[in-house]
Amino acid sequence: MSYVESDRKRRWLAGTAVLAVVALFAVELFFPESPVSELVRIVDANYVRSVLRLAVPIAFAALGGIFAEKSGVINIGLEGLLIISAFTSIAVAGTIGGADPTQLHLWVGFVAAVLASVLFALLFAVVCIEFKADQIIAGLAVWLIALGLAPFASKVIWGQVNSPPVATLGSFDFGFIEVSPPVVMMLVSVPAAWYVLNRTAFGRWIEASGENPKALDTVGVDVRKVRYSGVLLSGFFSGLGGAGLALGRVGQFIGGGATMVNGRGWIGITAYLFGNYNPLGAFGASFLFASLDALQIRLQQLGYSIPSELIGIIPYVTVIVVLAFVGRTRIPDAAGDHYESGEE
Amino acid sequence: MSDAPDGDDSGSSWRTQANRALARLVDASAAERILISLAALVLSVVIGAVIILVSGWVATCDSPFFALSGVGSFCYDPIAVYRVMLVGALWPPYNFAITLKETTLLLFTGLSVAVAFRAGMFNIGTQGQLVLGALGTAMAVLWVAPFVPASVVGGLLLIAVGLLAGALVGGVWGAIPGALKAYADANEVITTIMLNFVATGIAFTLVSEVFKDPNSQTVQTRSIPEFAQLQAVVFDSTVFSMFALVGALALVVGVYWMLNSTSFGYDLRTSGVQPEAAEYGGVDSKQMTVSSMTVSGALAGLGGAVYVLMVASRWQTGIPSLGFDGITVSILAGNNPLGVIPAGLLFGALKTGSLAIEFQLSVPKQLVGVLRGLIILFIAMPEFFRMVGSRFRFGDESPAVATDGGSERADETTDVIPGADDGGDEQ
Repeated sequence: MSYVESDRKRRWLAGTAVLAVVALFAVELFFPESPVSELVRIVDANYVRSVLRLAVPIAFAALGGIFAEKSGVINIGLEGLLIISAFTSIAVAGTIGGADPTQLHLWVGFVAAVLASVLFALLFAVVCIEFKADQIIAGLAVWLIALGLAPFASKVIWGQVNSPPVATLGSFDFGFIEVSPPVVMMLVSVPAAWYVLNRTAFGRWIEASGENPKALDTVGVDVRKVRYSGVLLSGFFSGLGGAGLALGRVGQFIGGGATMVNGRGWIGITAYLFGNYNPLGAFGASFLFASLDALQIRLQQLGYSIPSELIGIIPYVTVIVVLAFVGRTRIPDAAGDHYESGEE
Repeated sequence: MSDAPDGDDSGSSWRTQANRALARLVDASAAERILISLAALVLSVVIGAVIILVSGWVATCDSPFFALSGVGSFCYDPIAVYRVMLVGALWPPYNFAITLKETTLLLFTGLSVAVAFRAGMFNIGTQGQLVLGALGTAMAVLWVAPFVPASVVGGLLLIAVGLLAGALVGGVWGAIPGALKAYADANEVITTIMLNFVATGIAFTLVSEVFKDPNSQTVQTRSIPEFAQLQAVVFDSTVFSMFALVGALALVVGVYWMLNSTSFGYDLRTSGVQPEAAEYGGVDSKQMTVSSMTVSGALAGLGGAVYVLMVASRWQTGIPSLGFDGITVSILAGNNPLGVIPAGLLFGALKTGSLAIEFQLSVPKQLVGVLRGLIILFIAMPEFFRMVGSRFRFGDESPAVATDGGSERADETTDVIPGADDGGDEQ
């Protein structure tokens, strides 16, 4: 399958999705009594708000993944970074704020979480760039370390894998829609990331570092530094995503099973692959996955007797179908390769 | 991005990456591989000790083992933790039986990951294949049980049916990402991870809606008849059977033989290391991808079958993360089936030991999860150990120097950490 063909498929898929939405609204308009209409009526401001909140960890993980992979380092440890920052945000907010942390405590927790995630990403960057580790296995390790470390630390601090609940960040009221700060950050970050990647020198370096590091080296830009920035940015964005999930929506760290992150980092990877490394496309895909998630939650509230676990797999199945359908995306040429500057 | 429409070899960087990892692991001499695994282990233990110290400093307790004015008190003594972990894995005999139980199960999942890896694929979906395999086994045994006599013969029959069902379901579930990879070029790292979530959801729904034990509050199937459970010998344990361990060991030998002495194994390995060469040699690489993932999934499904027949005697929620541990076991073993035996034993011991440290010292058992990740991280960076090795040999020489003159395999026979002059990687 060529790139052009996969691009055509992607457009076709997007077109079908739009048509489906139009068709649904047509049903709503002409047959207000049908069960489909009930589905359509789920979509209101509340629903959009809920989708935006659910999209936060996915979209931020996707943005981070884009910067890392475009610079030439495949970071499949995003899920782990989300877990680390979700845990850190609650742990710090709870430690300094006690049982009832104030908004200030929560924000300190938020910043600490982003720092923790960046530090973890730095570790990953050193391992991959200095010690030429295999990126896939190292990314897997980041995920598994976080998957062990967060519940371990939870038990040390709280005596159990789940934290006691803390408050969530206060939200902004825009009149027609009320959103939490992480959602605002996401809505700002997506176009900002697009601008940086497509309209700035740094964006061109990132692009070149992943496509043709030798050329970048030749014009005198340090490939290592660009790659470090790419990976650290993936830590930064994942930090926003994890802390946004924990402090913006859930207000607790849940460390049982696959933790509260529960695969959102992996969905984030699929979102940017689906969005073809474009932040706007990745956000669109994140929005799609999040709206499926929200639909699932809403259907349960409406009392449809579909078992929640079965509806819960819908986003994952969608990811698989999308991957199978869109298939190969155009990965940066030098992604995964180590680059030796030849100097020194 | 739209100005780069070059077609066919474009998207497979993840694949190249996997191939390189594979080539590195396969090509490195056995001695080097063992050294790297051991060094990764030692380093993980050291860093684990630091984590234990720090967490003991954070935790509060009545009698810290060590206190320093100005710094604070430390609740956990790393040396004691490791001692309890080691002793607890071996003694009393009941604990040793638990260790062997874990080892048995890890042999299956470790083998599963190793086979896929040998064929150039990361099977991270072992967990899902195991969960569904376990469900298949439980259902098949419960379904056939009324038709067989409640005797040794009936038991053997049921065990055979259960193993077959587990392998079949696991194999089919493993074939899905294989086919997606072969025919739609969907990356198997992502699809297998996603399929883990899907498998857990499907199994949970099937059991809670259709096959639930009516007499139970929790989501689980009815218990399989006692005569169909693998019987304990040697150790008087309800969760470990020597038969299963011997069977697993035989399977290890079988897989080793299959990989190294059959034409299927040869095709599998060549399509893993050199897909082009394999294709040239007449191997249908697409078909090979599906077959090897099927074999891998079947091995994971067998693990699920043994879990049901030996440990749980039913399908129930909360199946332990044997699949993810299998990844560690396989990577630690350098993806060599024979290496899976010591790696599985080590990890089985770690898991039993982690129960002991939680029970005796109240150090959270999740510590072993951290160690698992650290081990993988260090094994991912053999270059690190090469650099350290070269520093120790040549005092002041900068370890980062890439001479590129030394061939990668120049010092295969040295028995110290190799890498005096091969710090550079091949581009």
